[in-house]
Amino acid sequence: MRYRIVSDALSASLSDGAVLLNLYTKRYFSLNETGSRIWSLLQLQPTEEEIVQALVREYDVEVPEATRAVHQLLDDLVAERLVEATSA
Amino acid sequence: MSAMEFADGGAPHVGAPVRASGDCRETHWRCGLVEGTTAGAASRLVDAEYRAELRLAGGRLMRGPGYAGAPRLTRQRLARVGAMLKLRQHARYHLHAAGVVAPDGAAWLLMGETGSGKSTLAYALARGGWRVLGEDGVVLEHTASGMIAHGWRDPLRVSIELAAWFPELRRHDHLVDWQDARHRVDVDATFVKRAAIAGLIAVERSSHDSMSPLSSTRALTMLVRQATFLMLTDHHAAAHLETLRELVEAVPCFTLRHTPAQLACVHSTIMAAAR
Repeated sequence: MRYRIVSDALSASLSDGAVLLNLYTKRYFSLNETGSRIWSLLQLQPTEEEIVQALVREYDVEVPEATRAVHQLLDDLVAERLVEATSA
Repeated sequence: MSAMEFADGGAPHVGAPVRASGDCRETHWRCGLVEGTTAGAASRLVDAEYRAELRLAGGRLMRGPGYAGAPRLTRQRLARVGAMLKLRQHARYHLHAAGVVAPDGAAWLLMGETGSGKSTLAYALARGGWRVLGEDGVVLEHTASGMIAHGWRDPLRVSIELAAWFPELRRHDHLVDWQDARHRVDVDATFVKRAAIAGLIAVERSSHDSMSPLSSTRALTMLVRQATFLMLTDHHAAAHLETLRELVEAVPCFTLRHTPAQLACVHSTIMAAAR
């Protein structure tokens, strides 16, 4: 399963995180540096595993911890309709 | 490792979208007593009291039903909100913040919720020779020479209850707006039309005084909350958000927690931070 950013989402990336807007729900969110990196990876419509592997390569983190964090964030982003899962 | 530190969809109170409809091409919003609907570049503004109407279409503001016969204050209210929308089409963005200009000509924006002390601190600075861009709003513009704040002319108003710290307010006792929950009165200040922005300060009332750095992401989150009409579906949201992002990246951002003691020294507090 791949994940992609919905067309109603806007984002602003900063040196220490990012801010997300959902123009449909009119809600906004902030991400820390790790979340911002995951958001930038989502531009490529990755699988969850591809995001985890990228984080393990880039940060000092083990696979189980990265998997938990990515899974939690993807759940939150999908629940807030900022990201959607696709079967493609 | 956590990623989404903060999620708050609470609507800002100025230009707050109430709901999106259909496929997100139309937004219903409210700005004070003005109710609006925006779809693409067109907006319909209706005064909640007199049902007078003003429309924005093709980049022009046009009178709608009931506008000509409405009281002057109603027409002014509609025109001001219409102007905010029209400015947005020209990449100038209204922000709910106080703007003050230091003796060196640099503008500082004080942002925070209603009641956080923006106007009170702005007046404390005005008494010390600072000039004022706006008490409750400024207009942001990214120009070739940097980030500029334009004045959004409102009278500077502070609560008469501050007379213990600002004794001259007692002269204005007879002018107090007692219908106003905060019993505010118009006070004297020197206004300025525009100035380059030197910094952003998020103000909060507190039991202690402190001025501390504010991260770019936190500052942008606060700006998003205070930005008027940011999330309208009029094709300008992306450019609006980008201007706010550029602002927090371009200038230092701080949190000022303040007690009444700060009224006597806020000038020094800001100048120390500026160094």
